Amino acid sequence: MICVLFSSAARTPTNSVVVERRSKSSKSYRQSYRSCVGAASRLCFTPGFTARRLNASRRAPKSHNVTDKVNPQQLALLMKTEWQLSYVTPLYQFRHTQLKSYSRQLSAFIAAEKQQGLAVEVEGAQSSFRVSISVVQGMVEADDDAETVLIQIHSKLLFAKKDEPQRPVWSGWLTCINGNPDYLRSLPEDFTCLPLFCSSGGEGLTAVVKSWFQQTFDCCFGTLEINHTSLQWLAALWTNCHAESSIQHLKMIWTLPVAPPLQVTYTVDPHDAWQLWSSVRKDPREESKGGEEAEEENSIDIEEVMEFMQGLKGHFYRHFRLDLSAGSLKQVTTALGSAKYSGKIKISNSRYMITTFTLLTECALLKMPL
Amino acid sequence: MATQLNLSEPSDSDQSSASDQSVSSRSSSRVAEKKKGKSEAEEPFVLSIKYFSKVEAGTPVHGNDEVERHLVLVEKVAYSKGLPPEAISVMLEFAMSLRMGTVLCARVLRCLIPATVVPQEAVVRAVVWLGVGKIPMSTQVLFIKWVLTMFDMIDGKDQLRAIYGFIFSFVTEENLCPFICHLLYLLTRKESVRVFRVRKLLELQSKLGRQPFLMHLLSLYKVLCPELVTLSIPSRMRVCSWVRNHNSTWKSTLIGVQKRNGSQAASSIGLAFTIKDKASSRKRKHTHLQLPALSSVVNKQPQSEPSSSRKLVPLVQLHSFAQLLENMHHIELPAQMGSLLGSSLALQYLDFVQDESALLRLNFWLGYALYEEFLFCGDGGGFQNSDEALQFLNKLLSTENFLQGGFTSSEAFLYKFLTVWDGSLLRPQILALLSNIPVVPSSQIGRLLFEPLMQLFFTSSVFFKCGLVECLNSMLLKWLTWHSVYALEDDLDISLKSYTSINMTLSGFKDSVMDLVHFVGQLASVGLQLEGCHSLLLSFTLDFYETVCDMFLKYGLPLVVMPPPGVFYPTLFATDPISVDRLAYIMYRYKVNLASAKSQEKLTEAFHISSQTFHEFNHYVVVMVNSLWNSRMFKPDMDLKLSEELLLKSSVPQHWTSFDLIHHPAFMSYAIDFHQKCWPERKDMDLSSIKDSKPWIWYLEYLFTQGYDGFKLFFQSNISQKSPADDEQDESLS
Repeated sequence: MICVLFSSAARTPTNSVVVERRSKSSKSYRQSYRSCVGAASRLCFTPGFTARRLNASRRAPKSHNVTDKVNPQQLALLMKTEWQLSYVTPLYQFRHTQLKSYSRQLSAFIAAEKQQGLAVEVEGAQSSFRVSISVVQGMVEADDDAETVLIQIHSKLLFAKKDEPQRPVWSGWLTCINGNPDYLRSLPEDFTCLPLFCSSGGEGLTAVVKSWFQQTFDCCFGTLEINHTSLQWLAALWTNCHAESSIQHLKMIWTLPVAPPLQVTYTVDPHDAWQLWSSVRKDPREESKGGEEAEEENSIDIEEVMEFMQGLKGHFYRHFRLDLSAGSLKQVTTALGSAKYSGKIKISNSRYMITTFTLLTECALLKMPL
Repeated sequence: MATQLNLSEPSDSDQSSASDQSVSSRSSSRVAEKKKGKSEAEEPFVLSIKYFSKVEAGTPVHGNDEVERHLVLVEKVAYSKGLPPEAISVMLEFAMSLRMGTVLCARVLRCLIPATVVPQEAVVRAVVWLGVGKIPMSTQVLFIKWVLTMFDMIDGKDQLRAIYGFIFSFVTEENLCPFICHLLYLLTRKESVRVFRVRKLLELQSKLGRQPFLMHLLSLYKVLCPELVTLSIPSRMRVCSWVRNHNSTWKSTLIGVQKRNGSQAASSIGLAFTIKDKASSRKRKHTHLQLPALSSVVNKQPQSEPSSSRKLVPLVQLHSFAQLLENMHHIELPAQMGSLLGSSLALQYLDFVQDESALLRLNFWLGYALYEEFLFCGDGGGFQNSDEALQFLNKLLSTENFLQGGFTSSEAFLYKFLTVWDGSLLRPQILALLSNIPVVPSSQIGRLLFEPLMQLFFTSSVFFKCGLVECLNSMLLKWLTWHSVYALEDDLDISLKSYTSINMTLSGFKDSVMDLVHFVGQLASVGLQLEGCHSLLLSFTLDFYETVCDMFLKYGLPLVVMPPPGVFYPTLFATDPISVDRLAYIMYRYKVNLASAKSQEKLTEAFHISSQTFHEFNHYVVVMVNSLWNSRMFKPDMDLKLSEELLLKSSVPQHWTSFDLIHHPAFMSYAIDFHQKCWPERKDMDLSSIKDSKPWIWYLEYLFTQGYDGFKLFFQSNISQKSPADDEQDESLS
């Protein structure tokens, strides 16, 4: 089991209660929009008061067989596809039991949108969409995580032959892996938090699906990029798996702010990367001396990640006299998967999927306005 | 030019609403025209438009050179830069009313190329003319084609949708039918699909055969209301076969005009901040600031319904406060809470219900919009559309003012935004939002508010400093008001026993207020020094202390905080008499508050005001009385200590009098004026002679008549009416 250690920065503060007045008319509505502090808020996880940051320490990825829990066919749908990430604010009155009805509504919605558009835009349109929304059973980690939801849209292409079956034209999924339990518990029951939205397919359809979700569950979608720090984390986490599953190469793309802009593709031999990583790893035994639980001994700290990256940069500098610290990491690729700054992620090996999506869920939750 | 055009518009019943709608476009077209400079064509063009609006019915066309001249001019303008919305209205009305017969009608229609937008009401009026039935069929077709071509440029569709039924009635006209179907297709919404319409279309279909235009309209009906249309519709239909560009010459001219007008047209459309049609909003990149449309919930939970047998009324269907009251207990919230921000009726309801989920939804949406616009904007596109941002914040502010409180999400947003704000972007709006922040606990207030604000304060202009002090003053006022309201309510329903617990929580509130007052004291002290006691900044600071000095009596908060020396002395020695007078007033109010607090303290012992505060107050009073009244400046017991040597070196004669009411730089002119009035015959001025007991009393009277009521109150309460020599001070408070 993989679980995330929360650094103190991510904990909910103990809000001191201010001027709590027991009065008949100062009821909950004031509490929730008058103030995000103290007596006033049920949502104790307020961003203003917690300098929410990415966890500084996380569990090392264990060889984790998702295939045990998740239907391999469904899992295959999530793999080998490059997903565009978005964050989603909590869904209001979303029911996992109503997915059939949602499928119908969404396909009607898409049809309506497409047809209305046609009158103006005309050519190249597809008709008759079949939407299926389903639960990806087992694609959860912690108890507070809501079940992952997969959306698939099938359609017949415009010039397809009569008997040709409908083909998948768009897919997407909403997930929450190891979401911060404090945050998840602070939400009222009406809300389902699936903060990470992955989509793949035409932009038009993505927009339609998003707008249906917005109108139906009163949520908002925003772009989620995988920032410099998260990419560094991924580089380290993936390298850490090399002993169990070869990463084949560690490829990084850096951009440097010079004129003209310089892009550096830096590919590291897997053994070298692994050696460097092993050298910066703190001795796990030393850590466990503190009487911590045995499970915790395998955690990775941000310092180790930074040291690892520093080693890589130093090596590069010795060869090319170019300090990568001035630039920023834009892309990380290994045999396990690839991640881009623009918010595109592709998973090639299901075994380490959970770790990656734990990190991404965290990134998505950091973007939440409340 | 704009006003002239306005005058020339035909008088019509719904004129007022029409002119309301096109205000933004009109003003922007005026700006555009100004930019181009006054070309000669402008004035005659206005005259031509006026001609077409005034021309009487039945005026002959043949041989009428005047109409030809005017029409040629209008055509010229239309084909070169397009017609402004008002001109479109006038010309369309002229054509469709057939005031000069059918000949000109088609010609006018062909030149109706809008420069910016087509006013919706003009289209609606023209559609009504169709019903009169005198227009030849070919012209009717031409008109509908024109509407279809210009559809995207019509500035609103709501009125057109309102006459959906009227437009629908034209489907029976065989020639019009294809075009009417297309128009209906563009206008159709779920609520416009009715059984009788479906029946009519099916009837037509049986008559005309499976025409594509009918099929498409029916298929849309089927999508929107599957239960009403049972007809099977082939899945593969090419819409292009019936929706060709009905008139490509219009289209190409339009594109040319738009290109020539460049971005002006686009920006003028962008200015209108309304709930836009989906089609237009989809094209925009920054859509997060747009309010969602107020619409009812699509996805009703059937299983939860039976328990509540009452019928829920969606907010969309309510149009007046009376209706709201009537349905108060079975109102259904809209699908997207963000839409409430645009409707005062909905806000009234929101203020009434205490639905936590609803507020949370609203907060999620609001926070998302604010974050996306101001925090996640990245380097590109940043604050380019600040016009929209401005409108959005103004809307948010008016909502917060309406609800008399800030939103959680805007508060959370501000804490983040303050750390990256440059202090100038949308300053009035941001500061106004900031003043709506509810009480922040003392433990957090420093990190969340004071640190970022301090940085901004010391690195910004004096105007920002003034703005910030004003903002903090209004924040304090809101906190105090909140306190006084809730404290009152507590008195009503809380037994005496629980007072202790209130005191505990009250102390938290007091801590926060104290922190805020001290913070402003620090800012003002350093700010006044940095800006050389800028009188504007001083004035805002005094505003703040006018709030502070009355906290006990006005708001029932047992807390008295004195201003720091950095505020007190610059005010006392200010060169404008008004500031000094306001200081006197503030000190008077402090005294009244302290006296009242002291008497209550003796009675209830519910609170305690520290002796330090009394000490500070007394000290300030002594200093004021000594310098202004007793002419005993720079005496060793004062805060200001100057060495005797230095004072001698300055060679100011009788330096101890230099800040009394006669020699104080702020009052010197009054003293001179008084001296001249008192002893007009004296040639050499001896201001010290005012100090004699009789003239002194007169002098004070004279000052009081000049409106210095602060002094009047201050001296009356602190000094018994005697001569300045008997340094009488009221030290009863010590």
